[in-house]
Amino acid sequence: MLNYIKKERDAGTSRMKGDKMAEYAIVAEDLTYSYGDLIAVDHINFKVAEGEILGFLGPNGAGKTTTVNMLTGQMKPKGGRAILLGMDVARNVEKVQGDIGVCFETTNLYEQMTAVENLNLFARLFGIKSFDAVTLLNRVGLEGREKDRVETYSKGMKQRLMVARSIVNRPRVLFLDEPTAGLDPTSSEAIRNVILQERDRGATVFLTTHDMLEADKLSDRVAFMNQGKIVALDTPLNLKRQYGKRALKVKVSTQSGELEDREIALDTPETPGDVQELFSREQIVTVHSEEATLEDIFIKITGRGLTE
Amino acid sequence: MNWRIVGTLVSKDLSLFFRKRAITVLTFVGLIFYLVIYFVMPSSVDENLKIGLYSPFSLPASIQLNEEGLDITAVDSEASLKEGVIDGQYIVGISLPDDVIEKLNSGQKPKISLYFTPDVPQEIKDAVEVLISELAYMQTGQTLALDVSEEILGPDMLGTQIPPRDRLRPLLAVFIIMMELLGLANLISEEVERRTAHALLVTPTTVTELFVAKSIAGIGLAFVQAVLIMVIIGGMNTQPFVVLVTLLLGAALATGVSFLIAARAKDFMSVMSWSFPVLIILIIPSFTVMFPGVITGWVKIIPSYYLVDTIHRAANYGSGWADVWLNLLILLGFTLVITWAGIFVLRRKFQ
Repeated sequence: MLNYIKKERDAGTSRMKGDKMAEYAIVAEDLTYSYGDLIAVDHINFKVAEGEILGFLGPNGAGKTTTVNMLTGQMKPKGGRAILLGMDVARNVEKVQGDIGVCFETTNLYEQMTAVENLNLFARLFGIKSFDAVTLLNRVGLEGREKDRVETYSKGMKQRLMVARSIVNRPRVLFLDEPTAGLDPTSSEAIRNVILQERDRGATVFLTTHDMLEADKLSDRVAFMNQGKIVALDTPLNLKRQYGKRALKVKVSTQSGELEDREIALDTPETPGDVQELFSREQIVTVHSEEATLEDIFIKITGRGLTE
Repeated sequence: MNWRIVGTLVSKDLSLFFRKRAITVLTFVGLIFYLVIYFVMPSSVDENLKIGLYSPFSLPASIQLNEEGLDITAVDSEASLKEGVIDGQYIVGISLPDDVIEKLNSGQKPKISLYFTPDVPQEIKDAVEVLISELAYMQTGQTLALDVSEEILGPDMLGTQIPPRDRLRPLLAVFIIMMELLGLANLISEEVERRTAHALLVTPTTVTELFVAKSIAGIGLAFVQAVLIMVIIGGMNTQPFVVLVTLLLGAALATGVSFLIAARAKDFMSVMSWSFPVLIILIIPSFTVMFPGVITGWVKIIPSYYLVDTIHRAANYGSGWADVWLNLLILLGFTLVITWAGIFVLRRKFQ
């Protein structure tokens, strides 16, 4: 499923371009927040279409969480507006919060309650009358552990439950903060599948993450945030085209028997000739194509890494 | 205000409260412990009037009164009479001066000193003065003019004629109510520290609904337990409505205090370390009932004094609204101020 979606996106069928995506689920207009003299979010502007997955990337302290807090009504902007589903968040907090789901980075479940009780509690808070917690738990791979207290769960299971909790109300906009950070591959895959299923259902997903590969795999577009500002916002493919360098990495064996690396830049007029010459003159051991990662692009744009 | 949300949160809080083993055990063991203490305390007072008498000469009349049922013991000096009163051997000590006969003969008023233990009620004091006149009449065959002076030896413990068991009522009520603040403070501090409050606040739940739910859960827990205990120990037999309102205000006070503690504490241990000094302070006023006269007027600055005093007066003396309205008003004032302060400091943690 992942591969299929990626192919569709790479083929240029970005959801932003479709006619049906004219409406925006999230709009940030000059959104600003400061803690005293420190400007955490500095007049940012962006729009996220309905049904789109936006990867929101940036190092610690870039202003990602503050942005999410303003978008979800947990903080009032010091300037600008956050508009969700056509409503000004600051003025319609409760209404907006009825239509969103939030999955926090740190586990904040009621650990002395069972998974079913946790989900039922939130379903009641959202006013959902008929809710099937067990089916939802099956979707995140927690079948068989529904009636165990959460305190007995592993980190991966708790995170899966957090994701399940965030979609209890079938949200129109889903905010996920590092949903797969530090998880085993099975749990990560389960969570990614749920994110894609939610997108397929029509939900807009705002995905905050450090994991560039995950962002690349899942996001229709990615936004790079640095020092309170959005420094780039586009599809992963466009960003790679604009900022990345594609190259052919070749390992050759010299006459003395030693291995040496050769690199040929792709997408230049000289590329065909360079490739032909290399293959005719050198003894080729391995050949790999290489394209820039989102991490490389982020470093190129901001001059700093994501984990700094 | 969405009452469906409030109801859901209250039910969640109560469920979590009873899943905390330490708090549940503390609650139930506490309840049983209080009842055991209550029922092992004496349920009646000793009504034998033990009188010590110092007289410089023999008083045949005292022998006659002994025969009529009074317990009069003659002592050989005023000092040993006082000692006997302080030690509790005698409730009353009567000391006749050496010149009593001379003064009576010369038509003067001899000065007779009475020594009382601190807990002697006014009725007994009045009765003893009558007894002295009777003693003089029996001795001389005529009514004599006497100058009687009274002295309390030790602290004034007026009111101890209430059985010790009943004096426990306000103490138990305060103890139960205040112990609940431990559980509630722990519940709230966990909600903040584990950030579950943040998960609630990105649903349609508002901070106000969260506080209302916590208040209802806290007041409910404390109130129900306190009422239960008061019913079992007979505290509701007189003035039940006054007692109910007082317990309700007391439970609200404890909830406000628990908000303040929860704003400072970070985990179970810090809840404990903040709660116990507060608990001790709040329980101090109970000793004004257990040991009348031991604690002076400063105790009135402790909010729980008005809870203790009102319960004591309503449950043990049958005082009605007219007698306790000022106490209730002051208690309400303290409750509002403390709860407001608690919400103010705690609200910042939720946001």
